[in-house]
Amino acid sequence: MSLNFNFDDYLEKYLTYELRIVNRYLPMKRKKLRELLIEEHPHVVCSDGSIHMFRKDELNTLLKYVSDEELNNLALPIILELRVDMDVTTALVREKYAVSVISKILGIERTNNELYLYPPHLSELRRKVGTLIQYFISTSEIRG
Amino acid sequence: MSQQTLKITRPTKMELIRLRRRLAIARRLHKILKDRLVILSQELISLIKEAISVREELHRKLCECQELAMRGYLTYPISATESYISRRISVKSLIVGSRIYAGVKLPFYEVDVGEKVPISYFDAPLSIEQSIRCYEEALKLITRLAEIEESIKLVGNEVSRTKRRANALEHFLIPRILNTIKYLRAKFEERERENKARMKKIKEILEARASYVTQL
Repeated sequence: MSLNFNFDDYLEKYLTYELRIVNRYLPMKRKKLRELLIEEHPHVVCSDGSIHMFRKDELNTLLKYVSDEELNNLALPIILELRVDMDVTTALVREKYAVSVISKILGIERTNNELYLYPPHLSELRRKVGTLIQYFISTSEIRG
Repeated sequence: MSQQTLKITRPTKMELIRLRRRLAIARRLHKILKDRLVILSQELISLIKEAISVREELHRKLCECQELAMRGYLTYPISATESYISRRISVKSLIVGSRIYAGVKLPFYEVDVGEKVPISYFDAPLSIEQSIRCYEEALKLITRLAEIEESIKLVGNEVSRTKRRANALEHFLIPRILNTIKYLRAKFEERERENKARMKKIKEILEARASYVTQL
């Protein structure tokens, strides 16, 4: 027995839709930590026009872990790139300052400028600084 | 596992290549959905645990506030208490926003208590003042609980939607593509065997013809 729908179209549309859902809330422009600390209602505008707000307690928690240089340069929200090519759910942090801050929050040693995070790390990050992180799925990896 | 195959116009090598590409896309999509599911499930479990603890704390706090208020009403005359409360009421605003988690838009509520009204502690009924402070804290907890419970609903819906799609890919689409690939391979093998048999037959005929010609 065979199916009577255009499978190609369906899969392509579905893939595009899923990626759009996950990535549509990425911020249009990120803000520095110092900038957000001064704001009355710390927030960023996402690419679909919606607003992502940061919890002030979490920003203050983050202050404990950052140096002066990081305070001026750390861009928020921190982007965690989900690696589709890995077997286990793995998030990758590429930015220098974000790597340094996250390794301090999680108490893990970093070996280079990239940091791989696994589900227990993600869970801890969510608990401590849930509004300060965002997930990103790279489309180039998928289409590749 | 589904035994059905996809509709293909012609069993050609080109079709097989396209199917293999589709299979790769479907597997990657399945991986994305699984990853999202892991992250959303983590969020859902944390939210549920948080909701339980906040609700317990809120119940405790409300009992405490009620007790303090009752003590105040018993100690001070009603008119004095009411006039004090009317002076003590400060403007509070609720900041309503949104926060995004793994592609799900969740509510974000925060109570802005604003500036405290200056009070003279000499004419303040102490237990009433304590109960007002207690209710302010309870208000923050109520707001937090509302945010968490609304988030649970939204994340729960997203989890079920993602799970349904991941299952559809895992048990429906990917097996069908695999079956179709298997069917195409079998078809090609069969065609190859047929070709071989045909070539043998042609060879035999040609040889027979050649021997017939030499005999003549």
